[in-house]
Amino acid sequence: MNILQVLILGLLLGGVYSLMASGLTLLFGVMRVVNLAHAVFMILAAYIAFYLFDLAEVDPVLTIPVTMPVMFLLGVVIYLLIFPRLETSERYVEMTVLLTFALALIVEGLLTFFFTGIFRSTRPEYGTESFFVGDLFIPKGQLVALGVSLVLLIGLWAFLKVTKTGTAIRATMQNRTAAQLVGVNVRRISAISFGVGMALAGAAGSLLSYLFPFFPSRHWQWVAIMLSLIVLGGLGSLKGAVVGAVTLAIAAAFVTDILGPTWSPVTFFLALFLVLMFRPQGLYGKVVRI
Amino acid sequence: MTALLDLKEIRTGYGAGPDILHGISLTVEAGRSYCIIGPNGAGKSTLLKLVCGILKPRSGEVLSNGNSVGGLRPDQLLALGISYVPQERTVFPTMTVRENLYMGAYSVEDKDLVEERMDRVLTLFPILDERRSQIAGTLSGGEQQMVTLGRALMVDPKLMMIDEPSLGLAPQVADQIFGTIRQLSQSDTTILLVEQNAQRGLESVDWGIVLDLGAKSFEGPAEGILDDTRIRELYLGTRVSSRGEVEG
Repeated sequence: MNILQVLILGLLLGGVYSLMASGLTLLFGVMRVVNLAHAVFMILAAYIAFYLFDLAEVDPVLTIPVTMPVMFLLGVVIYLLIFPRLETSERYVEMTVLLTFALALIVEGLLTFFFTGIFRSTRPEYGTESFFVGDLFIPKGQLVALGVSLVLLIGLWAFLKVTKTGTAIRATMQNRTAAQLVGVNVRRISAISFGVGMALAGAAGSLLSYLFPFFPSRHWQWVAIMLSLIVLGGLGSLKGAVVGAVTLAIAAAFVTDILGPTWSPVTFFLALFLVLMFRPQGLYGKVVRI
Repeated sequence: MTALLDLKEIRTGYGAGPDILHGISLTVEAGRSYCIIGPNGAGKSTLLKLVCGILKPRSGEVLSNGNSVGGLRPDQLLALGISYVPQERTVFPTMTVRENLYMGAYSVEDKDLVEERMDRVLTLFPILDERRSQIAGTLSGGEQQMVTLGRALMVDPKLMMIDEPSLGLAPQVADQIFGTIRQLSQSDTTILLVEQNAQRGLESVDWGIVLDLGAKSFEGPAEGILDDTRIRELYLGTRVSSRGEVEG
């Protein structure tokens, strides 16, 4: 395939990947939690989209106004149930990794129990349509996904930049102690950030429902991909999450083109491996000295 | 008159660790400025963290103007006018100097008041006015310290606790910081300073408090406190060869 074509296919997916990565990196930035359950909630949102589509014929993109608030609330509740009691723990990081891992297993189990392990996917018309610009092949569904992702990412950016809560979130990401000292209620901000991160996973789930067929245990592959995106970008950096996501989406498109789609996931894991070896702080991350 | 801050028999420590403060009692009156001195590990910083709400008391009472405030969150204590400038540099590194100062007024709703205080802070630290659009993470150590002090002043605190402001600063820069602190202590803000460099710290305040092993061992007018032989022994570690020389 010609290079420009591959580049475009990569870019089109970069938006959804950015959505997934920015939620995860936001959580890490605010709470120093690597949420291993992030992708399983994205799959949960994809199931919500699937059933709305299947039973009520709701367009998957239009399920976003449902999945985002539902996941936001779920995020706030989960945060309040689990995290405040860990705050003072000396093993906070280890505890949160294990807890979110357990959470992922539990939700996966519930999803399998209720929705079975069958491959699911929503099938809006634009999902399979495409058109040509000159010689270039543009799949409509992916273009829609990119558009939606851009709108949401700009929305996220504006929220963080303009609103008081957004400013408090940025402040907490930059320096938690300082945020506390200027009067930010960091527990409230953490709960909201958890909600916002999960809402982004919710939106990504709605889009995922027609872009990639899914079943409950698929989330392991997705969380691994998400981790590679935010590690490349630098944990806790939103700019990094977007740059990491777009870069790896394009790289994966090239790998798919040259070696075939089976090899596409390898791109992410190889990148993860190389970044951790040669630039562990990622592109925009802070160097942490221990 | 009730005291601005009244600590009664406070015990606390970190996590599940041992007590660092062993039943300390302490009174801070409005309109006076204080410096806490004492050897490493005496619990000076722990005391400030307790008062600002980062640490909760395990037992004992914290009163501010007669109201119990022990166990409140930092944002709640800030609303009562208790502000804390920690030892470690805590600017928001990717925000500009201005944004950092505005963050200081996060809890202040009145816009005019915020602008008024901004002017006051920028007058107090002219260098910050020059650097107002610079990203705070790229400032020098002294300038970052000024940003943190300025940021704390944006709430016009009743009590401002400052932990080792001169740590890691060049002597001239430290002079400047202490000058500002002295200036502040003349204003309505009550200063509670913790300083490793006892001489310098005590020069900037009215009243000295000596902490040792998590309890108050002595307090008195700042001037002359270091001449007290007991303090010399305790603080400067001059457990004099001939014991008879040391009183008490």
